[in-house]
Amino acid sequence: MTEYANDFSEYATDFSASEMIVTAGARQLENKKVIFAGTGLPMVGITLAQLTHGPDIIPVFEGGAVGPTLNRSLPLSVGDSRTTSKANFIQGLNSSFELTQRGFIDVGFIGGAEVDPYGNLNSTMIGNFPENYMNPDVRLPGSGGAGDMSCSCTYTILIVQHELRRFVEELQYMTSPGHLDGSPDARKNAGLQGKGPRRVITTKALMGFDDETKRMKILATMPGETVESVQAATGFELLVDENLYEFEPPTKEEIRLIREDIDPTQIYCKR
Amino acid sequence: MEWTGLSPDDAREKLEQKDKSKRDKRMSLTEAVKEFVKDGDHVGVGGFVNSRPPVAIAHEIIRQGRQDLSLAFQSAGLVPDYLMGAMAIRPDHLSISRLEFAYVGHEYAGTSSMLRYMTENNKIVIEDWTNYNMSTRFKAGSMGLPFLPTRSGLSGDIEKCNRSQYIKCPFTDRDILLVPACHPDVGIIHVQEADIYGNCRIKGQTFTCPEMAMASKNVIVTCEKLVEHDVIATEPTRTSIPYFAVDAVVELPFGSFPGLCHDIHYYGKTHLEYYKGLTNGFRKGVVEPLREYFDKYVFGVKDTDGFIGLMPYEQLKYARQVESRSLHLQQGLQDPGA
Repeated sequence: MTEYANDFSEYATDFSASEMIVTAGARQLENKKVIFAGTGLPMVGITLAQLTHGPDIIPVFEGGAVGPTLNRSLPLSVGDSRTTSKANFIQGLNSSFELTQRGFIDVGFIGGAEVDPYGNLNSTMIGNFPENYMNPDVRLPGSGGAGDMSCSCTYTILIVQHELRRFVEELQYMTSPGHLDGSPDARKNAGLQGKGPRRVITTKALMGFDDETKRMKILATMPGETVESVQAATGFELLVDENLYEFEPPTKEEIRLIREDIDPTQIYCKR
Repeated sequence: MEWTGLSPDDAREKLEQKDKSKRDKRMSLTEAVKEFVKDGDHVGVGGFVNSRPPVAIAHEIIRQGRQDLSLAFQSAGLVPDYLMGAMAIRPDHLSISRLEFAYVGHEYAGTSSMLRYMTENNKIVIEDWTNYNMSTRFKAGSMGLPFLPTRSGLSGDIEKCNRSQYIKCPFTDRDILLVPACHPDVGIIHVQEADIYGNCRIKGQTFTCPEMAMASKNVIVTCEKLVEHDVIATEPTRTSIPYFAVDAVVELPFGSFPGLCHDIHYYGKTHLEYYKGLTNGFRKGVVEPLREYFDKYVFGVKDTDGFIGLMPYEQLKYARQVESRSLHLQQGLQDPGA
């Protein structure tokens, strides 16, 4: 096997939005790193990375499993028994988050219903906060472990649906802190550890954060998208990286792995 | 500080007074709930989302009916959705006044319609935390400490909705968050194995069950299988919860169904999604199907035997067969709900 099992010479022509996101997520992951993953597309992304360039990636799930191999089909929960297959170490939630707090977790994958320019996320409520905290317009499930990963992973990758109502200048509620107000040392001054969000992956773009202002910027547009179309779906002004490029579509091999080996029954990757 | 459940001083006092003898604690679930779950109790819910959820205990609480319960957990799905569903149907019979939690939902199967219904209609008091915050709160309780410091759940809006407190760390001079101990009146926990004294063996992830058990005033355990005490005593390092933390042991195979029980059975996906669908309908105004569900599956049966007896064998069989198997060995199994 070559060091890079993924053959980039042949791009797929037929792929879905979730397959694009998963591929983009997988490609952001470095081999040999410890990745804390939530339920859904991150599970597919980690497995895809393991089957291509990252065979030594170490997944951690908040229910308590460290370093498993997802060979019993995709877990439906981060507390699923499927997250424990061939695990190296299994305890519980305190243990998983102590590992995070201690600094063992390199990357955390998190999501939310709303994201702001500094990568802060809302997964708690839609409505006026704090006035309508007890009776919001829409109650979302709550932090779960996202608020913990965002506080203490070395860095985070955010996956958010790219819609105008979700990319907002001001959140209605801040569940998971990102770069806070973007001021220098904002995270450290607030008592947080880790460097905060590094990437935002959507169906329209791969984004990062400006080194100085910590505001979100477009690094690459997804196939078929332009800076204008990405900006049009965003409720705040995006910066554009000087080395802007068009993101490479999934390869035929990546799509084959997703469809045949990782998610054959389309639990998360709809076609 | 307004403590929910027991204050650290009360929790200590109650434990000093408790009978810690090694005695046979087997009883029926009906007796256990009657004795250890009272109106106004703060109930610690074991498991994590829909993994090892104490469904059978929740159903028995619903059958008997209680008022003004509050629930504390990190992440849960079926148990709060069953309790809130029962409250939505018969508030005079069962009521939940408060939730302290990090997440209510079903992950792959979507958000909780009952959480939405109860909060959006202002029927319940809520207090948001993170998963680690809630786990730390149970851990503080288990350690006999009034609080623990944590670097989670700070700097956003979560800390503004709960009873955590910032302090300047006296050693590093940096901000850090203190979360108060959680001492439930009763912890409800489902495990794979227990002996008659209450020694529990949890297989797979322990979630926050051991900490919750040690922090609670009383603990009801349901187990898939009662094991000989010798099994426990030959390998005591595998004991997850020691007997003197437990007050009632009830052997109840499928006691967390349609949730998952590690190494025993996978989710009862068909039934879980069926119930979830009824709660979605209820939130949108279709009330009767949810009422009929409770009449048939909870009020209409005497106990868990009755509930599991209503499950088609193919669903139970599939949940057993698909658990803890490689994808290769799962091939050819037919999901009865698919």
